Amino acid sequence: MPHPNRAKKRDFDSIFYPQSIAVVGANKVTGTVPHDILVNILKSDFQGIVYPVSPREKSIGGLKAFKYVSDISDPIDLAVIVFPSSVVHMALEQCGQKGVKSAVIISAGFKEVGGEGIMRENQLREIADKYGISFIGPNCLGVINTDPRVKLDASFARKMPQEGTIGFLSQSGALCTAVLDYAQAKHIGFSKFVSFGNKADITEIDLLNYLRDDPKTRVILIYLEEISDGRALLQTAQEIISKTGKPILAIKSGRTAEGASAAASHTGSLVGSDEVIDAAFRQVGIIRCWDIEEMFNKAIAMAYQPLPHGNRIAIVTNAGGPGVLTTDATIKEGLRLAAFSETTTDILGKSLPKTANIKNPVDVIGDARADRYHIAVSQVLNDPQVDGVFVILTPQSMTDIEAIAREICSVAGQSEKPLYTSFMGENDVAQGISILQRNQIPHYILPESMPKAFNAAFRFHKQSKAKIVDHGDSCESPHAANARAILDEAVRAGRHILLEDEATPLLALYGLPVLKNGVASSAEEAAVLAKKIGFPVAMKILSTDIVHKFDVKGVHLDIRDEERALQSYHALLTEVSRLRPDAEIKGVLVSPMIPKGEEVILGVKRDPAFGPVIMFGLGGIFVELFRDVQIRVAPVNLDMATEMIHQIQSAGILTGSRGRIPRDIESIAHCLTAMSRMAIECPQIKELDINPLIVGIEKQSSHIADAKIML
Amino acid sequence: MQRQEIVERVKKVVAQVLKINDQISDNSNFIFDLGADSMQSLLLVAAFQEEFGIDMEEDQALQVQTVSDAVDFIAAIINR
Repeated sequence: MPHPNRAKKRDFDSIFYPQSIAVVGANKVTGTVPHDILVNILKSDFQGIVYPVSPREKSIGGLKAFKYVSDISDPIDLAVIVFPSSVVHMALEQCGQKGVKSAVIISAGFKEVGGEGIMRENQLREIADKYGISFIGPNCLGVINTDPRVKLDASFARKMPQEGTIGFLSQSGALCTAVLDYAQAKHIGFSKFVSFGNKADITEIDLLNYLRDDPKTRVILIYLEEISDGRALLQTAQEIISKTGKPILAIKSGRTAEGASAAASHTGSLVGSDEVIDAAFRQVGIIRCWDIEEMFNKAIAMAYQPLPHGNRIAIVTNAGGPGVLTTDATIKEGLRLAAFSETTTDILGKSLPKTANIKNPVDVIGDARADRYHIAVSQVLNDPQVDGVFVILTPQSMTDIEAIAREICSVAGQSEKPLYTSFMGENDVAQGISILQRNQIPHYILPESMPKAFNAAFRFHKQSKAKIVDHGDSCESPHAANARAILDEAVRAGRHILLEDEATPLLALYGLPVLKNGVASSAEEAAVLAKKIGFPVAMKILSTDIVHKFDVKGVHLDIRDEERALQSYHALLTEVSRLRPDAEIKGVLVSPMIPKGEEVILGVKRDPAFGPVIMFGLGGIFVELFRDVQIRVAPVNLDMATEMIHQIQSAGILTGSRGRIPRDIESIAHCLTAMSRMAIECPQIKELDINPLIVGIEKQSSHIADAKIML
Repeated sequence: MQRQEIVERVKKVVAQVLKINDQISDNSNFIFDLGADSMQSLLLVAAFQEEFGIDMEEDQALQVQTVSDAVDFIAAIINR
C-alpha cells in the first residue's frame, strides 16, 4: 500500500526538469528497455547531461559508462533505474548514498506479481525514505516532459509526443504507448506524460498536485486502475478545479459489482463500487470518461478552445442531413440552438445565396467555398446570442477543403467563443483535418461528438465556478462518544447487525425521527405493548436472518385492538417459521402506525476507497427496479442533501408535480445530513439502511418506519 | 570438496561465461556488479552443472545472486 500521508518533501523539478540523469542498468542491446530508454533520452535532445551506468560496458552510444552510480563525480538529479527487480534495491541504495534526488523505477516484478514482489516494493520504499528520495514507479513506462527547456523522454515509448497543454497520468504503461500513438495521429500534444505504475512512493495525488501548479498544463487526463485514497483524490481534484480551473478527465477501469450482490442491506446492493466512483467524480467535477476516444474528444475541446459561457449553439454546414443530425444531438445533450440576432440574419440573408438556410442550422449549400464559410462562421461567432459554433463540412467536387480549414482557423483565432469542427469523410478531407488539428481547432470524425464535447466543457465551466463546498462546523455531535461506545460494545460482542430495536436509540442520538417502539417475546407482551403505545400499531418480525420482512409475511399493519395484537403475534411467528425455518427469531417489534406518506430510502455504505457514502432514493419500485438513487461521498451538508433529493429521476413525486401534494423535503435533507454526520463520527458502521422513511406533507412530518445498522 | 576449491572453480566459470577479466569477489552480484542478463544467468547455471557434474533445480538456482551464494548452493548439493 502506498503511504499517502507520509510527509516527504517532493522535488518534482528533479524529475521533470533534471539537469543530470543517470540511466542505471543501461546496456547496448537494441530493443531492450535498458537500451531504448537511454536512446530515447538522447534522441529527445535532452538539455542536460546523461550518464549511463552499466556493470559491464565501458561506453554506450558514445557516452562513457560508469560501473556504479557512485563512480560518477558530478551530482545527479534523476536516476532512471532499469535493472531487474532483484537488484533494484541495490541500485536505489547507491543512489541514496550518492545523493540522487529522485528516481524513476521502470523495472517490473514488484507488487504486481505478489509474494516476494510486495516485499521488494516495501524495501524500495524504506530505502527511499531513508535517503529522502522520491520515486515514480516501479513497473512503469517512464516520464516525458515536452517543455523545450528540458526535452525529456525518459520512457521506452516509440516516439516522443509533441509539445502541448495536456498533462497525462496513467497507472498503465502499456496504455500510454497506445495513447501516444493515437495522439500523434491527431496532432495532440502533451505538457507532461507520466506512467506512474505501482505508485509505491509518488502517487496520483502527488502528480495531480504537481500538474495543478504546472504552467504548461491546461487540462489533466488520468487513467486509474486502483484508487488507494479516494478522499484525498477528491479533495485534490476539487482544489485543482476550483482554484485553477483546470479540467480533470479520468478513466477508471475495472468496473465491478463486487460487494453488491451479496449485500445484507438495500444500500449495499444499490451502491456498488463503480456507482460510488461515478458519484464521487461528479461531486467534485472530475469528468469521467469511458474510453480513450471520449477522453480526447473532450480534452481537446477544453485544451484548445475557450470554455463555453452558455449553451446556445450555432451550426454552420454545407450539407442538410448532417446539420439535422447535429441539431438532434445538440438538443439531446441539453444544449440549445441559438436564435440569431436580427443583424446576423440580415447579413447572412444578404451574403449567402437565396437557396441557403440563414436560420440555425445555417446551410451554406453544397457548393460553398471558403468565402461563404468565412462569412457564415464569423457572423454567427460574433452574434451575442451565440455561445459556441459547430462547423460541418462534406467534400463535394467544388469544396476547397483546405482553404476552408484555413479560413476556419483564422476566424476561430479571433474569437473568444469555442468553435468545433467536423469535416466528414476520410481521404478527401484528410489534409483539411490536419490543418485544423495542427492549429488546435477541435475536430471530430462524427458531428454528433461535438455537442457531447461542448456539453462536457460547458458543465465543467459551470461547476468550476462553484465555490468549494463548506461542510459546516467540524465540531463533533454531543452524543457521538455515547453512540460510539454502544457500537463498540456491539462489535466486541461479535454482533454484525443491529436491528430496528437497537438501531432506533442510536439514530435518536443524532436527532433522526424515530418512533417509540418495543420488542415483545410473547403474544401477551405484544398486546400490552400495543396498548401502551396506542392503537393502531404495526408489528414486525425481528430476525438478523431476514432482510426483506414483507417477503416472509413478517409485517402486520394497522392493528387496532389487543385481540388483533395477540392474533398477529401468533400469525407472524407461524408464517415466518414456515417460510424461513432456518431464521433465528429475536421477537416481534411493536411500533405506532405512521400516517400515510411517500416512502423513501436513505442509506450509508462505507466504501474502501472513499469512506462513508450517503444514498438517497424513492422507495418501492423506483429503487428496486429503476435503481433511481443519488449517491454522495460524506460529509453531506444541507445544500447537497437537497440537491440529491431533487436529482433523482422521480423527484416530481416529492416536489408535487402534476397535482401531487408536495412532501416535506426539508425533513429528508435533515435526515441525510444527520446520517452523514453519524457515518463520519461512528466508523464502526459499515452500512446503514433507513428503509423506509415515510415522508408526510407538513413540516417535521417524516418518520423512520424501519432501520438497521451493519457493523 | 573443499570450499576454497569450489570458490575458485565458480569464479573461473563466471569469468568464462560473462567474459570478465576484472577481479571477481566473493560478494560480487551477478547482475548488479557483473552485469549478467537473463540469458547469461541461464548459461551460468548450465556451466555450473557441467563444471561440478551436478543437477541444479533451475528456479532455485536462478535465485542465487552472488558468487558466495553460488558456492554455498553448489557445496550443499555436492555434500548432500
